[in-house]
Amino acid sequence: MIKRVLIVDDDQEMLLSLKEGLGKYEETFSVRIAGDGVAAIEKLKEHTFSLVVSDLKMPRRDGLSLLSYIMEHYPEIPVIIITGYSTPEMEKLAMEGGAVGYIAKPFMVEDLARKILSTLRKESEGGTLHSVSSGMFLQLIEMEQKTCTIRLFDQTSKKHGVLFFKDGELLDARVDGLRGEGAAYEIFTWDEVTLSIQNDCIQKQRTVHSELQAILLEAMRLKDEADQAKREVHPAKEEKAAEGQLLKKIRNRIEKELGRRCGVEDIYCDDAWDGLMSYLSQAGECFDAGAFKLGYLDRGEANDLILLPGQETVVIIVSPNCPRDRIIETLSV
Amino acid sequence: MEMLFKDILNTDDVEGIMLFSHDGEMVFDLFPSATLSAPHKKTWWPLFMNALKGIREADLIFEKRRLYVRKTDVGYLIIVTGLFSPMAMLRLNCDIVLPSLKEMNKKKGLKRFFKGKR
Repeated sequence: MIKRVLIVDDDQEMLLSLKEGLGKYEETFSVRIAGDGVAAIEKLKEHTFSLVVSDLKMPRRDGLSLLSYIMEHYPEIPVIIITGYSTPEMEKLAMEGGAVGYIAKPFMVEDLARKILSTLRKESEGGTLHSVSSGMFLQLIEMEQKTCTIRLFDQTSKKHGVLFFKDGELLDARVDGLRGEGAAYEIFTWDEVTLSIQNDCIQKQRTVHSELQAILLEAMRLKDEADQAKREVHPAKEEKAAEGQLLKKIRNRIEKELGRRCGVEDIYCDDAWDGLMSYLSQAGECFDAGAFKLGYLDRGEANDLILLPGQETVVIIVSPNCPRDRIIETLSV
Repeated sequence: MEMLFKDILNTDDVEGIMLFSHDGEMVFDLFPSATLSAPHKKTWWPLFMNALKGIREADLIFEKRRLYVRKTDVGYLIIVTGLFSPMAMLRLNCDIVLPSLKEMNKKKGLKRFFKGKR
């Protein structure tokens, strides 16, 4: 599971060189960047991160303020502080504020990479599992009354999520912008996840109040509903695409034979004509005329109509001056 | 009436002709070919005529035959043809004949054939 690391610094050059320098670790973690504390909080709300690396002195919201925000809202995300104005007091403040590391600028990219890797390792100290169903696994956590933080990556939706368990009870859940039971419902529907287990739960705030079994059942119900909706939407889309192709084919056939100025004004499908089509077809049966192929109707209006039978009646609007017999001949072949 | 439709019936590949009143009563039919006759579906034709409401002229193409439907002052005329009938000629013949049908209706009391003239 590729982890996400957020690097926050107002020095754009520094940001880009760090992003480039850490690029060689892309199989372990990916790097996202933010220009200050405010932008970092926006990113934290949108995505799930495994680690934040932050500068201290920044406009709008500085590193210490960001650290305090993360400790309050995302206590499971470790923070490494980097600064160009390092003093022992500053380091003390950062470490007391909850940072897991402190690096003074200038530093080698490799030093930061080593610190990131060692911090990330803690995330999966309890092990990593691949291609499991989240629901099945989480029932085991409940049964064993484990206290842990589980980070999940869904291979289908490519989303990251985090679950916090205290003595087998689900305290909190997060997935991208969602938090609490809503996030848990989404995570529990993931069928093929990679998950890593951290053997502690820093999160203290409870946002999930229902029992795990109840959430699992509700998640399954929501998944069934979503699958059903997908099944209903897809055939409709396919039908629409097939219909579009059929109409294009008909227009091309007429235009190929008679040119673009063939008098065809519009072509569409309309089941409102199905009743009349049924009568016209029955009229043919009276004379053993065989299958109904098409009807040309003049209703004394501005345009005439050609109706083609099918799953849905195809209506071709033509000008009354169109080469009627040639269009009929072309379409009845 | 047969004389009136003579030119139409003499057109190539025309197999038969039927004249219906607006409410679906068949008032005239002639099928010179021995292989085809007018289907007497008393209850169905009124429904069909009702379905045609608003249509002035229709060319209905089937796998083996064609039906040419034309609204007249007295009802609907249905001409049954093969696939190779000269349709433009047939339409022209109808254009010529149908005013006479209207005249006949007025002068010779064709009304007796039509119960529900609208």
